Amino acid sequence: MPTVKINGIEVEVPAGTNMIEAAAKIGIEIPHYCYHPHLTVAGNCRMCLCDVEAGGRGPDIACNMQARDGLAIRTDTPRVKQMRKSVMEFLLKNHPLDCPICDQSGECRLQDYYMDYGQYESRLADPKVTKHKRQDIGDHLVLDAERCVACSRCVRFGDQITGTGELRLFNRTDHTEIGIFPGVRIDHDYQGNLADICPVGAITSKDFRFQKRVWYLTDTDSICTACATGCDIKVCHERNQVFRIKPRRNDAVNQSWMCDHGRMIWQDLTSLGRLLQARVEGQVGNTDAAMQTAVETLQGAEPGTVGVVLGTQASNEANWALWRLAKDALKGASVFWCQGNDPGAWDRVDDLLIDADKNPNTEGVRALTRHDASIGDGADLAHAVREGNLKTLLVLQDDVLGRLGDAADGVAVLYIGTHRNGTVDKAAVVLPAAHTVEQDATYTNRRGQVQRVRRAVHPAGDSRPAWQLLDRLGASLGKAPGASTAAIAFKKLSAQVPAFADMTYRALGTQGLPLVAPQPEAQTDQASQEHHEPAK
Amino acid sequence: MENHWAELIVVLIKCVFSLAFVMQIVPILIWAERKVSAYIQDRRGPNRAHIMGIRAAGLVHTLVDVVKLVVKEDIIPDHVEKGFWFAAPVIAMSVALTTFTVVPWGDSLLLPISVTSLWGGTAAMEIPLQVAQINGGMLFILAIGSLGVYGVMLAGWASNNKFSLLGGLRASAQMISYELAMGLSVAAMFMLYGTARLDQIAAQQAGPIWNWGIFGVLNSPSFDPLVLIGWVVGGLAFLLFWTSVFAETNRMPFDLPEGEAELVAGYHIEYSSLRFALFFMAEYAHMIVGSAVTATLFFGGYNIPFLDGAAIRAHSDLILMVLGFGGVPVSLAFAFIAWRRSKRPFYRALAKNDIRHREPRFFISMWTMSALSALGLGVVGALGLVGGTVLGPELLAFALQTGSLFIKVLFGTFFMIWVRWTLPRFRYDQLMDLGWRAMLPTAIGTIMLAGVWVIVREAVHAV
Amino acid sequence: MTLPVQRPRSFLERLFIPEILRGLYITLQHGLHNLFHQDQPTVEYPDMRRVMPDRYKGAHRLTTRPDGKVKCVACMCCAQVCPARCITIEAGEDADEPIEKYPVQFQIDMLRCIYCGYCVEACPKDAIRMDTGIYEINSFTRQDMIHDKAYMTDLMDGKKPLAEKFYRDQPDQAPAGFDGTQDRVVSVDDSRGL
Ligand code: SF4
Ligand code: SF4
Ligand code: SF4
Ligand code: SF4
Ligand code: FES
Repeated sequence: MPTVKINGIEVEVPAGTNMIEAAAKIGIEIPHYCYHPHLTVAGNCRMCLCDVEAGGRGPDIACNMQARDGLAIRTDTPRVKQMRKSVMEFLLKNHPLDCPICDQSGECRLQDYYMDYGQYESRLADPKVTKHKRQDIGDHLVLDAERCVACSRCVRFGDQITGTGELRLFNRTDHTEIGIFPGVRIDHDYQGNLADICPVGAITSKDFRFQKRVWYLTDTDSICTACATGCDIKVCHERNQVFRIKPRRNDAVNQSWMCDHGRMIWQDLTSLGRLLQARVEGQVGNTDAAMQTAVETLQGAEPGTVGVVLGTQASNEANWALWRLAKDALKGASVFWCQGNDPGAWDRVDDLLIDADKNPNTEGVRALTRHDASIGDGADLAHAVREGNLKTLLVLQDDVLGRLGDAADGVAVLYIGTHRNGTVDKAAVVLPAAHTVEQDATYTNRRGQVQRVRRAVHPAGDSRPAWQLLDRLGASLGKAPGASTAAIAFKKLSAQVPAFADMTYRALGTQGLPLVAPQPEAQTDQASQEHHEPAK
Repeated sequence: MENHWAELIVVLIKCVFSLAFVMQIVPILIWAERKVSAYIQDRRGPNRAHIMGIRAAGLVHTLVDVVKLVVKEDIIPDHVEKGFWFAAPVIAMSVALTTFTVVPWGDSLLLPISVTSLWGGTAAMEIPLQVAQINGGMLFILAIGSLGVYGVMLAGWASNNKFSLLGGLRASAQMISYELAMGLSVAAMFMLYGTARLDQIAAQQAGPIWNWGIFGVLNSPSFDPLVLIGWVVGGLAFLLFWTSVFAETNRMPFDLPEGEAELVAGYHIEYSSLRFALFFMAEYAHMIVGSAVTATLFFGGYNIPFLDGAAIRAHSDLILMVLGFGGVPVSLAFAFIAWRRSKRPFYRALAKNDIRHREPRFFISMWTMSALSALGLGVVGALGLVGGTVLGPELLAFALQTGSLFIKVLFGTFFMIWVRWTLPRFRYDQLMDLGWRAMLPTAIGTIMLAGVWVIVREAVHAV
Repeated sequence: MTLPVQRPRSFLERLFIPEILRGLYITLQHGLHNLFHQDQPTVEYPDMRRVMPDRYKGAHRLTTRPDGKVKCVACMCCAQVCPARCITIEAGEDADEPIEKYPVQFQIDMLRCIYCGYCVEACPKDAIRMDTGIYEINSFTRQDMIHDKAYMTDLMDGKKPLAEKFYRDQPDQAPAGFDGTQDRVVSVDDSRGL
């Protein structure tokens, strides 16, 4: 790996790393507009100009300087400062003073860098060049050409990521204007990313338009649970209210992108179908009473007629808690899981991010089934129900009745979930579960990456995290799975299920870890029941 | 006395009169307290409440206050010791009023036979202008006055509240400490007067001003330079007594029992409505009685200097004439002031139809009327219409002497108010220091000096 | 901890009485002066009013553009800077306007406002001012103490500063330099800022 010198500090980086990234590694920020780690280098904003001490020539742009042995740059010379100041002056020459009404303000690179390298005293004598403002370029986007700094990030995104190429920079010099081809609208599923990558307020989001000043928002790292991809996101919220969701960089999952559907999952928090209170036989009531009814139903059931259904939409912790509940508290209960989408699920698919599987935790449940071979699949469940072997079903966030249809008539269903579906309407007892942004938990995405979600807002209504509900249910039934907190639940899960071996919340961090590859010899259920440390 | 019923009725009338004497001053004092404090502090004081546009310099506020205190909710906290709690304000008020019974407000009213015969009397009837003529009159005041501490102490204790209790404790400690100095200074005066009867004390101060207690009760129609010793004795005794009166009435700078900064309001925190009003009035009644007693002991009581009762009766017509004709220009001056005030920016700032425009007009006519009545009085005196009548000189003497006491009391209470808004409050240790280490020895010294002066006075008289 | 400070006192001072008399003399002077001159600085408030200095921070108002719309663009600078956190703004999009953003709701909780004037300082659009000279900010309900957009926009039409009205009616009492013919409040229609 080549070693480069930045401001006299040596740093070793992989070959091909550019100097912006190399500098970031040692905590030196090189201001930049056009460079984006997941787009090609365009080198047209000139903000990242640095002095080259050795191994190169003259001032050069950091984004296009690849690390090579002997390269030494400086970002702290007066000349660099002057260059940045001059670039800023050019960029701002025709810039409107829109900050008061610009949604970008607060997270705008122009604002940030102006504070550091601004000219402060205007030398402007000529009138500003005006351009087109407030253009409707897509269902989720507003374009204000005056605010553009012509970095071409959006153009490259259209060309390289979505391949749709709607946007172009037209005209030349200070009349350069970002624009869209006549008659074209941006209608792909990744529009929000354009607003995100635009370093200024030229492209802004329609959904977030004027909703909130960004400096009021608190960011909580989480992941999107709308499909099995599990894009990393940050949930931006204020006073227990979510205002927007933005993607977070995770090169193993979503690079820097996410789809527009995922951006709006926060709307589910308060959507009409949200379960906010427990129900017994369709009657809304308090959680304790519903829990009591559920306990009585489970205890009153004949041995051998109780089944539990793991949920591919629920977290690893909740599924583990349900599995333990079936093993410990409901002795003899059979465990099932159903693969595939619930009826009526969202049906977009593409080969960029949006996965056909809309369940965020299919792989997590699959890891459980690999560990415990007795877990039956959807076909087993359908069979058991048809045979009449199951009289009571405890279902975790899975539209079982929607899948089984009339076959399941006469089965008492106890349902734990977040939203209304075919099962909720027929269930004997419904316990409201917290949404992903309302709880701490982990999910395993389609590539087996185990990632954390973090609680951003309080659970709405009476809802509680599913692992917590299951823990209470287990306690009432005689043996709690021991999920007093999500972290403890996960610790026990990782101790019992080898696929999660050695994982902790701390180790998962912000980027997550892949599942441990399955061992050649299958672990028996009995081994894990004795709670011994799994083989490394 | 041939008719006990007449006697009884006269005593009742005197009781009512003495009560009225005290109670009528209370609202004036409350008003004065506010107004004086305001003027001393460069404020305007109360001046908003009005009756039909007449604000009377804020006097109406006192009236409004009374209404407020009467109709306010009477809150009885749960935690108070009910019996004592109810008794405390009553004790405070009744003690204050009782002490006034021995204060004379005039020498005596002589009802000639022509009047007493109206109800079958056979002799002239001499009515002493004092409710109770007790031999130990001044001792009675000391005795009853020290009962006042019970009101405060019971209030403090029965309120069942830390602050009240502290206030009550302070009050009792303070009163007991100052009771001593007060008693001793009074003892010095007893030596000068040779009696404890207040009517006799007052009578001894008739005539020239150097007969006053503060000038050592020379008891002589002519002046003698040796009286300077008497001045020292009288002055010291007065100073001690007056200071003790402040302490006994819990007035600034001795109002530690209600030090609002540290005790909220001291012993009367828990009281509201009329019960609070009783404490409030008791304080002012105390002030009045204290001033009246001081006036009687040191400032000639009801006596007008150089004009004793006999002289008033002898020259009633002349006195009336002087008063009447003298009152005319004074009233006119007030009318003029009222007219000038109508030009104040305040009145010009009012809307044309504001009801308060009546005010200056009201006062102009009031003072003009008062000038006219003064003129009438002067004419009556000039015509000699009073001196010859049976009751005329008697009533005049009564009015002038009572008025004289009234004015002395007013001055005394004004002084108390004045001091209140001048001096800061003592610290408790300073208070005790002053009481025990300064005033007590001085009082003893005064008694000795009084003994010297009594001998010297004998000598002077013997000359 | 208190440190005893030794101040030399003369014998007369230690007697207290002369000093007390001196104090009494001072207060009596004040009392008599005020009794005869009646020239206390007190302004007898509801009947007489003091004219507020030009920079007095009174009730807030929202300035308007010539077309009558508020100048405010809901940038939230004022809400952000307000130390009492008493400004609540809900932004909205105005489809017809070149200035896309406007406040759908603009409320100031005058019960919480500390009249620091930071909001005026912070406003980039000169949209909020405290130059009304109105200091009688009161109501019978808490709700009414929350001034909203409509109230603050119309403030100058409905309610002129009371002091000004008073001195216009009584010009002889107006302070020197008071020009009764001119509105002290700057016209809201000047094109400054936009
Ligand atoms: S793009 Fe940035 S600098 Fe330009 S108006 Fe928006 S916030 Fe202000
Ligand atoms: S619109 Fe934004 S992303 Fe596109 S070129 Fe302009 S500044 Fe860059
Ligand atoms: S004056 Fe100060 S406290 Fe009041 S609204 Fe403005 S910024 Fe907030
Ligand atoms: S600072 Fe001015 S423009 Fe911005 S929200 Fe406040 S009043 Fe409106
Ligand atoms: S970031 Fe290097 S030129 Fe734009």
